[in-house]
Amino acid sequence: MTLRSFLTVLPLVFAAACGSDSGDTPKDAPPAPIDAGAPDASCFTDPHTYSEIINACTSAVKVYKDSHPALLKPDGTLPALPP
Amino acid sequence: MRRLGFLIALAIALPHRAQAAPCDTLPNPVYLQVGDTQLNLMKRLGRALRDNTPKPITLVFITSGSCTNIQAIYTRVPITTNLQYIPSLTEDPAWTPASATLSCTPPATGVVPDVANSALFNSACTTEVAPATVHLTQGPAQAYVMAVPTVSSQTAITFEEAYFVFGFGAAAMIAPWIDEAQMFVRTVTKSTLLAWAANISVPGDKWKGIKLDGSPMVVSGINGGTAAAIGILGAEVYDANRATMKALAYRAKGQYAAYYPDSSSSSRDKKNVRDGHYTVWSPTIWMDTVDGSGAPVKSDARYVIDLIAGRTVTPAQSFGMIDIVAAVGLVPDCAMKVNRSFEGGPLTLYRPSESCTCKYESLVDTSSCATCTTSCTTGTCRNGFCEDH
Repeated sequence: MTLRSFLTVLPLVFAAACGSDSGDTPKDAPPAPIDAGAPDASCFTDPHTYSEIINACTSAVKVYKDSHPALLKPDGTLPALPP
Repeated sequence: MRRLGFLIALAIALPHRAQAAPCDTLPNPVYLQVGDTQLNLMKRLGRALRDNTPKPITLVFITSGSCTNIQAIYTRVPITTNLQYIPSLTEDPAWTPASATLSCTPPATGVVPDVANSALFNSACTTEVAPATVHLTQGPAQAYVMAVPTVSSQTAITFEEAYFVFGFGAAAMIAPWIDEAQMFVRTVTKSTLLAWAANISVPGDKWKGIKLDGSPMVVSGINGGTAAAIGILGAEVYDANRATMKALAYRAKGQYAAYYPDSSSSSRDKKNVRDGHYTVWSPTIWMDTVDGSGAPVKSDARYVIDLIAGRTVTPAQSFGMIDIVAAVGLVPDCAMKVNRSFEGGPLTLYRPSESCTCKYESLVDTSSCATCTTSCTTGTCRNGFCEDH
């Protein structure tokens, strides 16, 4: 398992350890794991496109956050804003 | 208690009125209407220009929303309220940027601003094309943050979370941001709201939360808030309030990780703004009036704009402009490595004509660049550093 995969899974382990959640009363999310400039195999060393620029390799601190908003549509897209 | 906090913030934000003098009696006044995110710039630059021996100028200004400022110069709306200015070294040797501004009274019929500022692309405010009499200049980059109280355990927010938090409010159940009375945002004419709006795909008029007129009110709201509090601020406003709040790292759509504007939560180098890892930033736009041939109507106004934009001015100023821009949390265009063409638009690689990255980094962090006096083995000697171009 890569470091990034581990950091991504970590919050899920915490969430599971907290037991089931009915969803009626949101709990405060655990702090996101912080990666102080560790190598990231999925980054781009010679970025040119927008996607490559925002995911370029960097020594800056990276904060990984696994987030699954309840209102996301099943296909992962965003619903329209309420009127 | 919270009401007291708001009143204190208001008192700090407002200029002293005891010394109100006629603005047009001040030395070489240039009238400006700028976003409240630019107050720190006005203070430091205002002081430097008062004491700029080759060309002393008094910046006489008010702060208002970017969209209001655009309309003020497009349609020539006169300022009729009292304005602010900074004392010269002779007038008040003890004055610092933490001190209050002084107040002066406008001419009886008001005064149309010589310079108007928008802290984001004008097109985010209006589809109206700038009149031929208004000249636009792109200035330093301004980052925007989402900030939470120090009692919050949160360190990051994603594009999707921000979309739900501010587009749906409490109904989205994005913990801990489930209390709309603890969401401190700005009114719809303000760059801070519109810049975030463009980045998280929530139009300005759709935002949930408490809509506040000034940045100090947002600061007060966050500082007095619970762990559920969240607010939006210009990065330079946040930089001045780091002791009492923390900025969230932001993960843009399609990004693998979240990033702070700076390389870490404690640094002030704006590294991620400069290289594109932090996407919520706008160029500041500076506008002045030109005549039929395109020449500035007021040369002192253009002098001020050229300074802010990092251009060479004549006569040369007696102070370091990059130093001032860096000190107020803005990023000079010459230190940027990415650019965009509209609010929230995709970033592209950018190479300024004359880089000042080494100089900028020496001011906000440490520079690994070689120093120089006249020439360099590689690169160009500029501002005492061997810049790569």
